[in-house]
Amino acid sequence: MQTRWDVGEPEKPTINIETEQLKSDLLTLNMGPQHPATHGVLRIEIWTDSEVVAHAIPHLGYLHRCMEKHSENLDFRGVIPFVDRLDYLASMNMEWTYVAAVEKMLGTEVPRRGELLRILTAELQRIGSHLMAFGTYALDLGAFTPFLYAFEEREKILRLFEEVSGARLLYNYIWVGGVWNDWTSEQLDRVATFCDTMEEEAKKYHELVSMNKIFVQRTANVGVYSLQDCFDYGASGPVLRGSGLSWDLRKNVPYSLYPEFDFNVPVGTGEVGQVGDCWNRYYVRMREVVESIKIIRQVLAKLEPGPVMGKVPKIIKLPKGEIYLRHECPRGELAFHLVSEGDAKQPYRLKVKSPCFTHVSMLPRVAPGQMIADFVATVGSIDIVLGEVDR
Amino acid sequence: MSTTVQETNSFKEYFSGLFNGISTTVKGMWITFRYVWAVKPVSIEYPEVREVLPERARMRLFNDVQNCISCTQCAMACPVDCIYIASEKLPEGTEIKKTSNGQAIRLKLTQFTIDTALCCYCGLCTTVCPTECLTHSLDYEFSQYTIDGMKYDYLAPDVIAWRDRIVKS
Repeated sequence: MQTRWDVGEPEKPTINIETEQLKSDLLTLNMGPQHPATHGVLRIEIWTDSEVVAHAIPHLGYLHRCMEKHSENLDFRGVIPFVDRLDYLASMNMEWTYVAAVEKMLGTEVPRRGELLRILTAELQRIGSHLMAFGTYALDLGAFTPFLYAFEEREKILRLFEEVSGARLLYNYIWVGGVWNDWTSEQLDRVATFCDTMEEEAKKYHELVSMNKIFVQRTANVGVYSLQDCFDYGASGPVLRGSGLSWDLRKNVPYSLYPEFDFNVPVGTGEVGQVGDCWNRYYVRMREVVESIKIIRQVLAKLEPGPVMGKVPKIIKLPKGEIYLRHECPRGELAFHLVSEGDAKQPYRLKVKSPCFTHVSMLPRVAPGQMIADFVATVGSIDIVLGEVDR
Repeated sequence: MSTTVQETNSFKEYFSGLFNGISTTVKGMWITFRYVWAVKPVSIEYPEVREVLPERARMRLFNDVQNCISCTQCAMACPVDCIYIASEKLPEGTEIKKTSNGQAIRLKLTQFTIDTALCCYCGLCTTVCPTECLTHSLDYEFSQYTIDGMKYDYLAPDVIAWRDRIVKS
């Protein structure tokens, strides 16, 4: 029986093939879906010419869970656990954005303590998310130790969240009308201690990674997004700020109680490399951690005893209408477009505008001409979470 | 908009780069080397040493059927529909029992099953429970060989026996 492997002798010895013929073909290389550098199940089809990337095509959908469609069959409270699973590294921010959209349509007043606790959890979550981004980015570039250091600090945040909400990753903590549980003073003291240690740790990370020659060589001048690119593709968050625009929804379009707080918006300055490269994006994140610590300290000073839940009807029914509400999440600008048919218990449509989706679509822009190793650094630097891309 | 790769370095750049590379690496090595003696280990060696879970931790669900009034609010609140409840009317003339917080049990619970494999541990069912009989216990090690084993019938005698171990108050 002839198998497909019995192709006989080659007509021409391969050694005589002209080099021009070798150049004509691009090698297709699949990066993912289980590639560790893609932080999830992103598959990128790379066409390479030797080691240089000619095209990169992201293929999405490996983590698609029909969340948007499924939420049309759930009541407004039941959507919250599903919203958690969008960006599983920043669940608190996801919950808050969704809940804020529902509250705005419902016209609920959130007590001041509840709102401050939301800011507290959201900023803690931002630190946790950026620590994860920092750790895995260093891991992508071959440094294992920063990953462990980052997880040590992140564990403290997760432990606090576990005590206050009951879960470590998918909290279901921010509810329509407020937050589920109140923080005890002992837990708030631990937040204050965490802020102190985190500031020290951030300095350590800068010494260990940010200014390290190997790290700088791998990331500086790599994967440069110009500001025009960011506008064209609609980038937001650290990617946009790394490209030099000071745009933070907490500052520019203030929501919640953020106008009361004093903090800066870190922008890529290009002190190493150039503005818009991987190093600047990374550095913006690390400086945002320090800004978040600033906000947390102010929250702790402002907190006063009081209720954490406002008055919400037992069955939530939204009036007819729609809302588009956006918040600044660790990865960028997350928005929910919520449409209600009027007197319905379920949303008529829930559309998620995800920042990671935009950032994934920016990859083909910067990939051509890069080395494969540099492309890995670029993918890591935009810090995507596939749960949010695919939904 | 292309990344510039510098092909050649000047004499000064070469040596400053060399110095920078060595000094930053040594600095990083020193930071990690301090962990040998100055920092206590943080990892918990799981099967031997177990972390104490916080009071609110949301682990396996437990329903105390003696206090359940079959109101099906938990089943309605569940976003993944993993709670199966069936009940029937009490026969005429039976004495109406009361739950621990004084609510009358007017229906006879014939089935209370939770598919733990489907459960997403969101905690919405426990918050709507009027008698607080449905709670999250602190059990987290309950792997099974088959997926059917994850379905717990809370009316089964062996599952009722968990009560002595789990229920806090």
